[in-house]
Amino acid sequence: MKDSMRPLTPLEASSIPCTLNGHEINLNVPPAKRLLHVLRDDLAMTGTKRSCDIGRCGACMVMVDGVPVNSCLTMAYQCSGKSITTIEGVSAGGIDPIQRAFLEEGGFQCGYCTPGMIISVKALLDHNPDPTPLQIEEALSGNICRCTGYGGIKRAVQKAIEWRKESYESESISG
Amino acid sequence: MLLNRKGSGARWRVRPDGPDKVTGKLAYLTDMTAPDMLIGRVLRSPHPHARITAIRTEQAAALEGVHAVITHKDVPGLNRFGIAHPDQPVLCEDRVRYVGDAVAAVAADTIAIAEQALRLIEVDYEVLPIVDDAEYALTDDAPSLHSQGNLLHRNGFKRGDVITGFDNCAHVVEETYYTPRQMHTYMETEGGLFIFGEDGRLTVYAPTQHGFMDRMQLARILAIPQSDIRIVSSPIGGSFGGKDELNVQPYGALLARITNRPVKLHNSRWESVRAGLKRHPMKISMKTGVDCSGKLIAHQVRIIADTGPYATLGAEVLNFAVEHVIGPYRYDNLDVDGFSVYTNNGMSGEFRGFGGNQAIFALEGQFDRLAEKLGLDPWELRLRNMRKSEDPGPFDQPIALTEGAKQVSSAMTASTLWQERGKLGTEEQQAEPWIRTGIGAAFTMHGAGLGFGIPDPAGGRLTLAADGKIEAVFSYEEFGQGLIATLEQMLIEQFGFASEDIRIIIGDSDVVPDSGSTTASRATSMMWKSLQNLRPLFEEAVLSKAAEFVKFPARQLRFGEGGVYAIVVNPDSSAEECLITYPALAAACGEPVTCTTTFHFPTSATEKVGAHFLYTYSAVAVKVEVNQLTGRVRLLHQYHAVAAGPVMNPQGFLGQIEGGSSMALGFALTEDAVMSGGQYLTKNLDTYLVPTIAEHRGTIDVQAIEELPEDDSHGPRGIGEVGSVTLAPAIAAAIYDAVGIRVTKLPIDPELLLAQSFDQLLEKAVSGE
Repeated sequence: MKDSMRPLTPLEASSIPCTLNGHEINLNVPPAKRLLHVLRDDLAMTGTKRSCDIGRCGACMVMVDGVPVNSCLTMAYQCSGKSITTIEGVSAGGIDPIQRAFLEEGGFQCGYCTPGMIISVKALLDHNPDPTPLQIEEALSGNICRCTGYGGIKRAVQKAIEWRKESYESESISG
Repeated sequence: MLLNRKGSGARWRVRPDGPDKVTGKLAYLTDMTAPDMLIGRVLRSPHPHARITAIRTEQAAALEGVHAVITHKDVPGLNRFGIAHPDQPVLCEDRVRYVGDAVAAVAADTIAIAEQALRLIEVDYEVLPIVDDAEYALTDDAPSLHSQGNLLHRNGFKRGDVITGFDNCAHVVEETYYTPRQMHTYMETEGGLFIFGEDGRLTVYAPTQHGFMDRMQLARILAIPQSDIRIVSSPIGGSFGGKDELNVQPYGALLARITNRPVKLHNSRWESVRAGLKRHPMKISMKTGVDCSGKLIAHQVRIIADTGPYATLGAEVLNFAVEHVIGPYRYDNLDVDGFSVYTNNGMSGEFRGFGGNQAIFALEGQFDRLAEKLGLDPWELRLRNMRKSEDPGPFDQPIALTEGAKQVSSAMTASTLWQERGKLGTEEQQAEPWIRTGIGAAFTMHGAGLGFGIPDPAGGRLTLAADGKIEAVFSYEEFGQGLIATLEQMLIEQFGFASEDIRIIIGDSDVVPDSGSTTASRATSMMWKSLQNLRPLFEEAVLSKAAEFVKFPARQLRFGEGGVYAIVVNPDSSAEECLITYPALAAACGEPVTCTTTFHFPTSATEKVGAHFLYTYSAVAVKVEVNQLTGRVRLLHQYHAVAAGPVMNPQGFLGQIEGGSSMALGFALTEDAVMSGGQYLTKNLDTYLVPTIAEHRGTIDVQAIEELPEDDSHGPRGIGEVGSVTLAPAIAAAIYDAVGIRVTKLPIDPELLLAQSFDQLLEKAVSGE
């Protein structure tokens, strides 16, 4: 029993190269550590939220190479050579039009699901600027919001689509 | 007024807490850390009912990196908690009564070490027979879970004589309704940070709905004065009633005290499920009779509420259900008998709607069934029995008079959705003959405030602070409902301040006055009333100071954006000019100018505990689609008419009704924390199904009816809960309209709605037909 008095130790930390919000970094963490905990506990980036831990609720959503993933199901080694974008990255250049749409339409209440929701909306619109309601539904059905009933979120997504179209058109004209 | 952004104009505002929420900058209390922080973990019972014969913690304590292992022996004060009736052990001594019961707790350097330490704690249990059914709990055969037996609380209400009443009825409907163990499912699970400072005071950073109540309970557990505890309790990632009671706070506080280090706890979802509160599962039997004209003659109700192992607010929830099974109708003869019963199932407690959700589902179901027997339109039957504005409340108590019942009924029946009833096209049904659509509606009056006989303090403070900010200080909590936004909007619209002039302070027991709890749809009403009381006081105090400095009579001054202005008698005479800015005024005053108000939530002149005085009225119509091949129900359109007085914050109001209705959709169709033998079968969000965006394909209209009687002095009524109580019975009525099947149990079992039973389908498949 004496052995049990010593803490069980995880695999040794290894150096995992990746890009986080545009910065090249090396993650010195055990390879199986969940990205969610790397972000929150090791890097003190708490915009990514912890909620169900099983990839069902989307509160911990981040983009890996532009694809939305649940960071609670992503292990550190899977990020090797990848580019990770968190809510902090989305906000780095000021408030994104998607975030502004959430503000103006009231697409949040307690706000705990909001970072993950905005990541999912961004990943959707970056790939498909003009999604159908069914495509929006599919893209966001992995993000649970318990407060809003999704009304404000749906209105925010529509507004963000409009704004992105307008800015694209104005850029096209001026360009 | 149909609530939407466009129609609200400039009153539709970006929430002041919004930018930090959409950028992820906002630090929730479970995001906090502190230097030298330890991780706390709680060991909970694997058994729903067992005797503890031994607890051995030596091995866990000897593990490197473990700083404390505590059991009941380490609780210096009262080893119990519970807002109204403290009967839940902080750490169990010799018996566990549910799978969330805490037996020990540890503080360690890391999560992994803390979890390893939990595995090293040895607890010897002697498993006891369980009580997993509330009706069984009331029988003589059932083991007794508490010294007073298994009945937490019994409450009822009688008028006339139902036995004779039923003899005089032309039609009687008898039905039993069942409602699920709904989970709050706040996205942020329980947690927080606990720090004993060098001054020996404890600071608790943990979500709650009533900071001062947590302070009182923690002082009792730790055996220290309340003044030695500071509760910081906002912002909160959702609560819905679920964080009203203590959860992790006792463990964090005890571990921090013993280790003299900051301790953080943050529940996993599974720990939140097993330990946390749920909505009371209720079995409600109703017998209701009418004469041949449809006049209600007699109404008999029996409520059995499964309150789980400990009290929290189980008694108060039952009182609310007793009131709301009577509801907005008048009966000659009435007999309601309710029981809140201890079991070894999960903890039941406070949850948005507070017993109204279950009661209204049952009551409205009776009206639909009686109307059919009478050959009457179901709404016509409601109208014939609906309370008049001057009628007393459900318990015959005086209530604040409004036309709310009539207003919402008229609005709902005039809605396009309701008008469509009976005219549903058959085209789509021919294209997909297994799809049936139907329209249904339901009605409610929902009480606000804690009710007669329960301390329900209110109040707040306005200060012109030293730096010139107008400080509005309340002890209410922001858990998403938009209380900060609503308070800011009231200050801007009622006083004339600019948002930059205002500093709102909430959620810190060291600096806020006791405004009572942020529960029971009460906070907006109480903030409004506070500002009504404070406005003349603050004008008097601040404007008279300003008058001294600007050499203008105080009565000719007013608050404005950025400072104090002269009241312009003739708007053409001169341009608006700020006479003195708030910072300049504050500097001239030399010290802060403060006004406070304290009062009690208005209650009825009655002796009936829990009876309400203020009510919100709502009528809801829905259109649903029933797929008879899958048994699945889709909500196509909803219309909510809500009479709650003036709308303080249109975005907040709309969000509360939309969000409340979404919870009600889950309550009606998918949500149930399923238990078997006292164990949860639905342990996380893969099996416990809250509505996603895909379940919200339909549209929703929210009609706010603002008109109140001219002499009304109570202002805006609560809207935090009413959106969550009326949808389920409306869906049940719409399903009946669609497929002629009566629903008595929520969530609705899809198999009930299949055109052919599964057995029939199977037989067909096997026989090859």
